[in-house]
Amino acid sequence: MKRYMAVFLLLIMSLTFLSGCWSKKELNDLALVSAVGLDLDKQGRFVGTFQFINPGNVTGGFQGGGGGQGNAVSVYSSKGDNMDEVSRRMSTKVSRNLYYAHANLVVISDELAKKKGVLPILDAFDRDATFRNTATIVIAHHVKAADLVKTLTAIDKIPANKMIKLLRFSERVWGGTMNVMIMDVIRDLTDDGKQPVISGFNLKGSGETGKTTQSIMQTTPESAPQIGGLALFKGGKLTGWLYGSQARGVVWTLNKIKKTDINLSKKGKKEAIAFEVIRQNTKISAFKIDGETHLKVKVDTEGNIGETKVPVNLKDPMVIKQLEDGFEKVIEKEITSAITAAQKKKTDIFGFGDAVHRSQPKTWKRISDKWDDTYFAKAKVEVEADAFVRRTALRNNSFLSDVE
Amino acid sequence: MPSFFKKKPPKDKKTAKEQKKPAGSSPLSVVLDENLAVIKDKTGNSTDIIIRRLNHSPRFKTEAAIVYLKGLTDSQTIQEIVIESLMKSDPVETRPSSMQEMIEGYLPLGNMEPVKDWETLFQALMSGHTIIFADGYSEAMSTSTEGGERRSIEEPSTQRAIRGSREGFTESIETNISMVRRIIQNPNLWTETMTIGRVTKTKVTIMYVKGIARDDIIEELRSRLEKIDIDGVLESGYIEQYIEDQAITAFPTMYHSERPDVVAGNLLEGRFALFVNGSPFVLLAPVVFVQFFQSIEDYTERFYISTALRFLRVLIFFISLIGPATYIAATTFHQEMIPTQLLVAIAAQRESVPFPSFVEALIMEVTFEILREAGIRMPKAIGSAISIVGALVIGQAAVQAGVVSPAMVIIVAITAIASFATPSFGIAISVRLLRFLFMISAATFGFFGMILGFIILVVHLSGLRSFGVPYLSPLAPFVPADINDTFVRGPLWADRKRPAFMSGNNQTRQGEDTGRPQPDQSRGMVTKNEGDDQ
Repeated sequence: MKRYMAVFLLLIMSLTFLSGCWSKKELNDLALVSAVGLDLDKQGRFVGTFQFINPGNVTGGFQGGGGGQGNAVSVYSSKGDNMDEVSRRMSTKVSRNLYYAHANLVVISDELAKKKGVLPILDAFDRDATFRNTATIVIAHHVKAADLVKTLTAIDKIPANKMIKLLRFSERVWGGTMNVMIMDVIRDLTDDGKQPVISGFNLKGSGETGKTTQSIMQTTPESAPQIGGLALFKGGKLTGWLYGSQARGVVWTLNKIKKTDINLSKKGKKEAIAFEVIRQNTKISAFKIDGETHLKVKVDTEGNIGETKVPVNLKDPMVIKQLEDGFEKVIEKEITSAITAAQKKKTDIFGFGDAVHRSQPKTWKRISDKWDDTYFAKAKVEVEADAFVRRTALRNNSFLSDVE
Repeated sequence: MPSFFKKKPPKDKKTAKEQKKPAGSSPLSVVLDENLAVIKDKTGNSTDIIIRRLNHSPRFKTEAAIVYLKGLTDSQTIQEIVIESLMKSDPVETRPSSMQEMIEGYLPLGNMEPVKDWETLFQALMSGHTIIFADGYSEAMSTSTEGGERRSIEEPSTQRAIRGSREGFTESIETNISMVRRIIQNPNLWTETMTIGRVTKTKVTIMYVKGIARDDIIEELRSRLEKIDIDGVLESGYIEQYIEDQAITAFPTMYHSERPDVVAGNLLEGRFALFVNGSPFVLLAPVVFVQFFQSIEDYTERFYISTALRFLRVLIFFISLIGPATYIAATTFHQEMIPTQLLVAIAAQRESVPFPSFVEALIMEVTFEILREAGIRMPKAIGSAISIVGALVIGQAAVQAGVVSPAMVIIVAITAIASFATPSFGIAISVRLLRFLFMISAATFGFFGMILGFIILVVHLSGLRSFGVPYLSPLAPFVPADINDTFVRGPLWADRKRPAFMSGNNQTRQGEDTGRPQPDQSRGMVTKNEGDDQ
């Protein structure tokens, strides 16, 4: 019996060696894709622009890699009727296996987003085993996605990294943008009470100059990607853009603000007092009054005084209270204008539909089909902000009080 | 069925006892010259056998002789005590009837025995006894005069400890036993000596604490030792290989130590120690897997430090086991698991390397094994040359030539350091071997293969036993009371029980009142001056 077992085990073990190296892929055989850009050509086909990392040029100063001589990335494009075809056609230009596990950025041109929408694209990304659902998705605004993907960047050598970090950093300290991942978009698309919103990117300078190292050799790169605006979607297609304080209003409502800066005019000076938001919590809710659905946004925020351009007596609690009221008004105004803008485009990017769904499930069943076009667009939204000045940073009264 | 499956014909079994007693156990002759001639004949007239005839001794009415081995005996004892007392003692009136009677009162030596057959005589002679012959007696006296040059007690070169005894075992079994006796001063510390080795006749001593050690385990040990019938025992490792529970395993099922305090500690937990003459390494069993992650110092330092160190050792174990395997698996199968920046850095290094990761790792690991082997065998003076060659040639030049990547060198270096940091050499060399198996499984199936390897490893480990004690105990089978001294080391005062599997029914090792040190609350803090608090 023991002998049989031994022979059996031996046979099993020999399988290990017969299998070869199943699905083995050496690093030298991989083309690491860092970003994917998608455009439409004139015939309406997809043009995929792939940014590949040149590992040797990224690390720099390393022997054998020719440190920093060439570009950190190389970009190739191919065309096709669907994503898979685009990816496979790439093999005519790239000598290695395309490896998407480190592709953290998908750029979609606004033209494509308007004409075809994101619906036909996202399935490929969602389905592929290597592609991450956590990849950031952005919309190229006033520029071809290919140009954004091609543009070299200075400090962060891999442009895709630069763009993602830019988004994350800006989201954290300014709040006018959001780092939206593919899975967020897919979740919003499948949610009938909420529409997706995606950050936009535009290009400073031209796409042509951005391709060359000359551009980043200068202290001010001739071309550089910049964050600009939030793209509103409806039914998977781009319907409009929001910028500046309206865009921030959207982010407030979505409870995504981490830190930002609110300015208040005082004593005739514009934006004289700055309020640094350090934490906030925003809730949206829906409730019925006299059979009519009311929507409500409630913001609780807390922060420091960041700057005073005019002398204010910050030792006085009453003054602080006045300032708080002022900040609240600014926030309320921002949010209201963002909601009004979205209502004009008839797309509920804030998830009010979900709030209605939660509070009045039966009503929701009836109205969900017409929510965006009929109900949301006409809904009355009540916005209430509660600001609290936690501290005044290192000083209470500014030295300005003594100057006069 | 092919012949491969056929059963082997049963071996013709000779009983062990038959082989053990060689036929030459004949009695001594009455004639002195005949006896001396036999000695000369049997030893091939070896030059280090000294035969001193005492022709004019007043003590013996007849001729006498003493025989001893130069180098194994203490020449001072022989000259000043044996020869002097035999020559100067008063003459006797009547001839005593036996040798024993004749010498006993006159020779101031401790151990003295009459010998009647050649077998015992030669054994005594070879172990350093002096044999006294007298004409007309069919027996000789064997007196204990062992001595000669020996290594003195030194600090052990393995298992060093910062805090703890500086004594290490030597090659002499008597010294070694006495060192443990000095620590455990209790009559319950029992020893049993037997001779193993047809040619070498090596003394092997079992030591255990009666009442703590399990009798069935000691009985098992005895029977296993009795079965050994080999030419020679040169080191305790010989014995170990004959009495292990399982021979086909990479893991040691017996512990060996050079430190008397380690041996004493293990004896107190119910294990037995096996001393082998000529070896400073004392065997200890039954052992469990976790014991190889423990060091004597764990018990002298506070428990949280010791616990942290034990966790570190487990980490070390895993690094040295799967370090290179993880690198291979991650870089050839699971690139998505490496952070982008790190992957880019590794990819940049791999760009110029002509081999697959596995081959690269194999080259470096084998190179390192060669270096290590060379380092051990080299004379100390050339040892530094090896490290220069190793560090410069293999490390730097190989990287510069683009044959291996720097990341690989880092991996191999960490693995090597981890391997050296393993507290037990026994487990370190097993891991050295298993590392290659894990590399192969990682290269064929990636992490999946490594997990398969782990499953096989755990199954194997749980099947092992050491003198019947499950190797993975007290983790599997789980003994809650013993968890206190496994990968964690609880406070000593919480360690109330001896290991359940070792000590049988006598498990309590602490008094009920011995607990956590807690001075009386009213005691308070001492004030500067005695009268202050009144």
